[in-house]
Amino acid sequence: MATYRLNGDSDLIDNPSPRCACMLVLDTSASMFGPPIRELNAGVQAFISAIQEDDMAACSVELGVITAGGKVTEQLPFTTAMNISQCRQFTASGLTPLGGAMELALDRLEERTEAYRKAGVAYYQPWLVVISDGVPTDQWQAVSARARTLAQQRKLVVVPVGVEEADLEALSAFSTRPAKRLDGLKFREFFLWLSASMSRVSASSSTTDQVKLPPTDSWDSI
Amino acid sequence: MLARSQVVTDSQGKQRRLGKRLERGGEGEIFALRDRPDVIVKWYYSEVLDKRGEELHRKVEAMRSLRDAHMTRDVCWPLIRVFDEQHRWIGFAMYRARGVKMSFLAHALLYQRYFPGLDRRRLVGYLIRFVEIVQQLHEAGVCIGDYNLNNVFCVPSSDQVTLIDCDSFQLRVEGTFYPCPVGSPDMTPREHQGVSFRHTVRTPRSEAFSLAIVLFKCLMLGRHPYDIVGGDDPVRNLRRGNFAYGRGQREVPQGVWYELWRELPDTIRDMFVTTFTVGADAPIQRATLAQWHAALSDYRDALAAGKHAVRLTTPGRPQRTQVLHAR
Repeated sequence: MATYRLNGDSDLIDNPSPRCACMLVLDTSASMFGPPIRELNAGVQAFISAIQEDDMAACSVELGVITAGGKVTEQLPFTTAMNISQCRQFTASGLTPLGGAMELALDRLEERTEAYRKAGVAYYQPWLVVISDGVPTDQWQAVSARARTLAQQRKLVVVPVGVEEADLEALSAFSTRPAKRLDGLKFREFFLWLSASMSRVSASSSTTDQVKLPPTDSWDSI
Repeated sequence: MLARSQVVTDSQGKQRRLGKRLERGGEGEIFALRDRPDVIVKWYYSEVLDKRGEELHRKVEAMRSLRDAHMTRDVCWPLIRVFDEQHRWIGFAMYRARGVKMSFLAHALLYQRYFPGLDRRRLVGYLIRFVEIVQQLHEAGVCIGDYNLNNVFCVPSSDQVTLIDCDSFQLRVEGTFYPCPVGSPDMTPREHQGVSFRHTVRTPRSEAFSLAIVLFKCLMLGRHPYDIVGGDDPVRNLRRGNFAYGRGQREVPQGVWYELWRELPDTIRDMFVTTFTVGADAPIQRATLAQWHAALSDYRDALAAGKHAVRLTTPGRPQRTQVLHAR
């Protein structure tokens, strides 16, 4: 994902909006090849566009992307949505090192919230969205406990989403909320829900309260 | 969910067609009224009506009994009862607010897009109007309670200010108390933190604290008074009266913020310092609405007389303006 960051971290100085960090951990392993990866790419693009259409959310949401496809790749370090110019398409290959990707995601989230505190920037509970169509092929138990603990302490919202034959049990272990299964390949609907959720969070005048999220019936299945 | 019928009736049974849905809020939806672009309808969700319909209806009726010409102009006050086709009360009609949400005014990176040419004269003009409207409400025994910059509309080409979402206001009518059941900890004084808003009684002093946060956020282009470098979240800082500006200033966030602060008149800065430090704990110490009105009016006069810089400092391009009064 090719992006540029306007003024780098001067954004934490000039932009007074409370932040909502949103990290996407995406399974881009070989099994995602074909329509799944195509729809995932389209969904991420739609997500960025939808956030950018809402000025308050564009100033508030900081997006980060990490992929797990053969290796763990940080595709986009946390960037305020208004400063994201374009994004490259992800390709599908290799195994699913989801444990490593989640570990990196949690480290990045920790660093980012520390940067907020240092800069005196208020922030909403950060979000970590993990999407996978299989089972992690590396060690993931320890990191899932770390993510779940943060979710229990209400320091992190973890949204696990399973695609097609995903192991929902493994994904659910990362969160206090059970993983939802995407209905077919409705990535676009999922990401529009995510952007609507981000809009609600960034419109909230409270950085500590829970925000009522929109219903998920446009994209999940039983 | 079934699509809602697009026809509502008034208390005389006269049918009205609804237009486009304009907003989806926490408790209901706002619709335009077809053929009357200046009127909108708030329609509570059916689950809200099932749970608290009678209570809401009573409160809205009490509000309607209080209306006067000022409120109708400055606040989107409930004017007409609205029923569905089964004659069930479902909400009310009110005038539609014009303008842009104050949250776009109180934002260093967005105000120029939504309020082209905004300067301190215009900004202070909006704040004076805002204080006056709250004073009018207080005189009628009404408190805002849930201070939220998204519920204040300002017209970019004039100094017109209108408040929306007023069915949450706290009021007392003929001995009955109607609480403001909602709020946000970031805008709430310490004495009301950690208590359910439904059981909170707002007072002129608690209102003065929340109003001071609104004024600060506007004058400081979006900074919350309790945003502190290396500190906790704004709510924890608020509970401790940990305000970075004023004396010391070591924890003020980097950027134009201190410059914006320094450009405010001494009186206004002193009122903020007192309200947000000792006033956090001692409501009696907080600047009152009358004091804010007087200080902002003096500021407006001083701006008109060229005694203060009119231009707003913009982030990224700090402009050191010549300030004619010396501290």
